[in-house]
Amino acid sequence: MKLRTLPILALLLAVLAGCTPASSSVPTGATGTAKMSITATNLVGKLDQLKEAKRSIFPSDGVFMPESEVQFTEGESAFDILERETRARKLHLEFENTPVYNTAYVEGIGNLYELDAGPLSGWMYRVNGEFPNFGSSKYVLKDGDVVEWVYTLDLGKDFDTAVGRQQ
Amino acid sequence: MGTGSRSDSRPTPPPNSRTVFADYHPVVNFAFFASVLAFTMLLMHPLFLAVSLLVGVGYAFYLNGRRGSSLSLKFLLPMVLLAALFNPAFNHEGVTILAYLPDGNPLTLESMVYGVAAGAMLAAVVAWFSTFNQIITSDKFVYLFGRFAPSLSLVLSLALRFVPRFLDQARVISASQAGIGRDVSNGNVIQRAKHGIRMLSILVTWALENGVETADSMKARGYGLPGRTSFSIFKMSARDWGALAYILLADCALIGGMAIGLLGFDYYPAISDSAGLFLGAATPDTLAVLVLAVVYGGLCSLPILLSMMWNRQWQLSLSRA
Repeated sequence: MKLRTLPILALLLAVLAGCTPASSSVPTGATGTAKMSITATNLVGKLDQLKEAKRSIFPSDGVFMPESEVQFTEGESAFDILERETRARKLHLEFENTPVYNTAYVEGIGNLYELDAGPLSGWMYRVNGEFPNFGSSKYVLKDGDVVEWVYTLDLGKDFDTAVGRQQ
Repeated sequence: MGTGSRSDSRPTPPPNSRTVFADYHPVVNFAFFASVLAFTMLLMHPLFLAVSLLVGVGYAFYLNGRRGSSLSLKFLLPMVLLAALFNPAFNHEGVTILAYLPDGNPLTLESMVYGVAAGAMLAAVVAWFSTFNQIITSDKFVYLFGRFAPSLSLVLSLALRFVPRFLDQARVISASQAGIGRDVSNGNVIQRAKHGIRMLSILVTWALENGVETADSMKARGYGLPGRTSFSIFKMSARDWGALAYILLADCALIGGMAIGLLGFDYYPAISDSAGLFLGAATPDTLAVLVLAVVYGGLCSLPILLSMMWNRQWQLSLSRA
């Protein structure tokens, strides 16, 4: 074997070693319970706005995850439970994360991505009926919070929901 | 034939049989490469990618022999593998989740398959371009584009000509410097650096002088004067029109197939082809896609087919004589 290919192989092995199987466990020592759901109900009946290739993966009622009880430990964010619950349910999730700044950005859930239904579409989250004005990885959960992940077609203006408090 | 028994049992092929296509009119050459490169980049259907890659690499082997093609294989194969590895690292779309990457994003089967397809497309384009330079030489390039973009084609042909010329001259300079004990491998680090810099200085001086001479020579020949014509030996003959018609007919068939959506292939979110060629039951479109793949194969292998016809004609003419 040539020496030149070794670094590439080493890189590949390192990535493979860091991979984890496609399942996840419930947190140990949960301190709180929240409700969480993932829906794209605004798209139901407007499938003509959705990219053609994506129509096959869209659930007919727009529900990717029905409202469910979710357990979390002290200090976990709305993004943490999203990541854990999608893994546990084998639901697809793609995000961009910069750990240094703790700024997670959700690009797609269940293969429904931002910009798939027009230039103003994408995923948003709301807690207890309002959109927090900061990212989900900065929202520290409280017991009894209701976290809804919703798909907007118009930067959130298609929801009758106020923009909530600043961080 | 009294030259020997060898030529009686197996007629010698014509000396330039591999580059028969280069003797065709530049317009035909350009139409061929433009079509093949465009379809290679536009059609992401795996069957069409495979056809283009196989014929393209095969033609590169045919033209360059084993030496040139081993170089391209050393370059092409790692490129496909790297694309297959890197696409799943940055792209996480797809319904089949295999595992999770260290950053938490999923590793999907679809992104890996797309990576292989994109790598194959890149490799095919590189393979075709490696043959492009041998068929469309700089005189053909200037002939084709001299009228539309005179300065650009001049600059391009100068650049294409000067790179190999500089390399040759650098070799000459380094050999003569080595002859008087000033090789870059002679002496300590400082001396070696000095020798290297001296060679560079000689090369730059030569290049400047050569540039002035070229400019003078072009001026003396009246380059750029109004009413000046340029000599070209190219003429469209019946065989050129035939080859051009062949290329354009294949183009029309493939563009038609693309226009009615026959050649679409989705990698995301799930791998699916509408014609049911690989997955699911065959549809009435399956046959049409296969026919178009044969047409595409015929388009891509035109230069090889022409060489084969040329060889056959040569043998027939020998047996008649």
